[in-house]
Amino acid sequence: MKWRVIKAYIVKELTELIRTRLIVMVYLMPSMILLLFGYGIRMEVTHARTIILDYDQSHFSHMLTEKFEHSKYFDAQIGLMSEAQALHQIKKAKADMILIIPASFQKRLLHGQKSEIGLFIDGAFPTRATTMESYVQGVVLQASQEAENIALKKGMIVINNRNLFNQAMRDENAMVPGLIGLVLLVAPAILAALLIVKEKEKGTIFNFYASPVGKGEFLIAKLAPAFLLHSLNIFILFLWATYLFEVPFRGSFWLYWLSSELYIFISLGIGMLISVVTRSQIAAVVMTVIVTLLPGFLYSGIILPISAMDKASYIEAHFFPIMYYNHILYDTFLISQGIASEKIVLYLGVLFLYAVILLGLGTLFLKKELR
Amino acid sequence: MKEQLYVKNVTVQYKGHIGIKNATFSLKGGEIIGLIGADGSGKSSLLHAIAGVERFTGEIIYDDVSYHNPKEAQPLKSKMGLMPQGIGLVLYDTLTVKEHLDFFADIRNIPIDDTFKSYRTKLLHMAGLEDFIDREAGKLSGGMMQKLSLVCTLLHRPKLLILDEPTTGVDPLSRIELWEILDEIRKMEGSIILVSTAYMQEAQKMDHILLFDEGEIIASGSVSALLDSAKAYTYKQTPCEDGCITFDGRTYTRKNINADHVSPTLEGLFLINALQKGKTLTSMQISARQNRVNIPEIVMEAKQMSKYFESFIANEHIDMKLHRGEIVGLLGANGAGKTTFIKMLLGLYPIDEGELYLLGKRIQSGADRRELKSKIGYVSQHFSLYKDMTVGENLIYFATLHALSKQKAAQRIKSYAKALGFSEYLDAFPRDLPLGINQRFSITAALLHEPVILFLDEPTSGVDTIARAQFWEILRQLKQQWGIAILITTHYMSEAEYCDRVVLLKEGKKVADASVAQLHATHPKAKNFEEIFLEYYR
Repeated sequence: MKWRVIKAYIVKELTELIRTRLIVMVYLMPSMILLLFGYGIRMEVTHARTIILDYDQSHFSHMLTEKFEHSKYFDAQIGLMSEAQALHQIKKAKADMILIIPASFQKRLLHGQKSEIGLFIDGAFPTRATTMESYVQGVVLQASQEAENIALKKGMIVINNRNLFNQAMRDENAMVPGLIGLVLLVAPAILAALLIVKEKEKGTIFNFYASPVGKGEFLIAKLAPAFLLHSLNIFILFLWATYLFEVPFRGSFWLYWLSSELYIFISLGIGMLISVVTRSQIAAVVMTVIVTLLPGFLYSGIILPISAMDKASYIEAHFFPIMYYNHILYDTFLISQGIASEKIVLYLGVLFLYAVILLGLGTLFLKKELR
Repeated sequence: MKEQLYVKNVTVQYKGHIGIKNATFSLKGGEIIGLIGADGSGKSSLLHAIAGVERFTGEIIYDDVSYHNPKEAQPLKSKMGLMPQGIGLVLYDTLTVKEHLDFFADIRNIPIDDTFKSYRTKLLHMAGLEDFIDREAGKLSGGMMQKLSLVCTLLHRPKLLILDEPTTGVDPLSRIELWEILDEIRKMEGSIILVSTAYMQEAQKMDHILLFDEGEIIASGSVSALLDSAKAYTYKQTPCEDGCITFDGRTYTRKNINADHVSPTLEGLFLINALQKGKTLTSMQISARQNRVNIPEIVMEAKQMSKYFESFIANEHIDMKLHRGEIVGLLGANGAGKTTFIKMLLGLYPIDEGELYLLGKRIQSGADRRELKSKIGYVSQHFSLYKDMTVGENLIYFATLHALSKQKAAQRIKSYAKALGFSEYLDAFPRDLPLGINQRFSITAALLHEPVILFLDEPTSGVDTIARAQFWEILRQLKQQWGIAILITTHYMSEAEYCDRVVLLKEGKKVADASVAQLHATHPKAKNFEEIFLEYYR
């Protein structure tokens, strides 16, 4: 292991990155993904156009309808129409949902009997529909708590479960930390994949093949610039998250920083493995994007919390490092259990294993010969 | 000289085909060994095996260390230097000359002392790169890139120097300079130098040559010994039916024919080898044009054409006429402006100054340029064929581009395939075929729309001797049958002799425009065209 060889390669890489303007991509892409997705994906639904058909016109039913009228999430309209007419409104895309309060609503409740509320939701966009449904459940729960006669229905706990550490119900809090996990998986992997495959495509890889430069020296020299440059992104992304998106940061910064560095190693390992097997830059980039972006997005917890996944995808999620890292991320931002939690220590260990295995495989498969 | 290189039964195999089969030879220090053969004949495979960058079977012993795979060769790499094939292949486009020198010194861990510094200065001086120390490698000319690559390979004073076609695609002047550096190094360092080349003339500078054909070493020995061995088969140009190949004013045959023996050329060795395998030149017959066109005496005329790239003058006031049925050779060193000039003629670059006339009409508007393109056939340096389409599909695609009807296209492709002898390859993929065959259907693609002018940008680089001989036969027939005007660039000076007229460019300016015979008359001392060429550039 000769420091001089490594240094020469690192200086060369950095010079090339700057002169080919690739450095712009290193810093532009992560921030761009964060901004695009951070502003672009909205799980939150506001101003859902709601038609309320109140057949009871009682104290309890008014209490409930008032809640809808005063919420920013609903644009409630007390309907004077038949159910069929109301349904027609949804068909015409003039309304998002219909809430029907049956005639004997208050009477049944006062008698301690179960009462049902009818709810029709436009399911054209299932996620949006689910979100609206959970809002309605929330409102109903709140209203029923206020009414002294508490008639809890089963299954309402679900809402609480999701919102517990995001009391403000802010999308940013749920999205942005997850996005950091995605960005730090994709961007360093692409850079690492390019750095080696570019030499194969150009032919300069011969300088490595035909010289006494060792495999270890070559890999350290290739990965170090990518690692150092992307380490800065850990801080940049943190600043975007906390200042621009105003996501609270409750946990330990040290944990955030160290686990992120570890995670970058994993990303670099993926990129390195890909650049060992591919021959052209375009193939390397496409493959890296497929291998990192898709599972990264699916299992980041942005779309759906891992705990809410069904069996197959729940198991699948455990194969991808992003699940472990994002758990730590959400903890540091929103929960702040830190290393007091056994799960977090375990997950740190898993991340470490991933890094060791990926980098080890890359070193093993890299050969100083043409193929 | 104690250090020796033994190569024993070395075979390099790729998926589906063999790179080199059972190569066996041994070498002494201080020798320059030439590996000569066409593209794909196994030179690179063998050089890669020796340099320890390619898996092989067999054994190689260098400096008393035996190795059977790249891993075992690792400890020897500090004594070796490899310059792989391809112009500027090992250079980083955005790094300057100086940064390259620093980088290579660092990765080879060369102590930076006075000895090294003076050696480095000497190398730079030999390569003529002293004045370009801060220029980025991507902005050097091809010849300079090769010289820089060589300097970078020489920095650690390798005892075993492996150079894979360092001179291919490099102009004659740079070639001579590269050879001067090599000769100097051999004297200074006593290294074994293995050089592969596609230029037969360079064989004269080597102590020992190995001839390659189809993955085998077909002959080895000193140049004079090899030429002597071929003498018995070489005759003065004589008409001869089968079992003969006539090339370069000589007829080669293994039969006894009634003619005088003459001294053979090295190309002849390949022709004799081909004869031995029972191969002869396929006879080619180009038929007349389908669309009769009236071609005027002057097909194309460039008047005072110039091209500027910012402050750099690529072409300066160039006049040129292309006549009906004329083959014009456009020659010049790398970076002299040949490609720029052709691109202007093709309508790919706008003309900054001057006028261009095609069939008597001035080319000005975009519509004119479209018209221009429909009259021109162009074969680029790299034969722009689609790798994932068969030869037939490629040709149909090009025919469609020129709006030929399906039947017409099919019929023309068939007749060309027959005339140029590649019918059996129509369903093969270009990457599986030898360069010489690819070259033949590249020219077909350029001829499908029956142009009046044909531009050929280094069509013969890397192509084997026989294919080159056939290529020139095609050009000769085209000129006679079609009255087409042909403009060709080449770095093979011997090919200039087949041109009716040669135009020499130097630093963007035209320095000569005459027939080879006229040039010989004005340069009586020159023995061949290469010397005339060099007189213009020295």
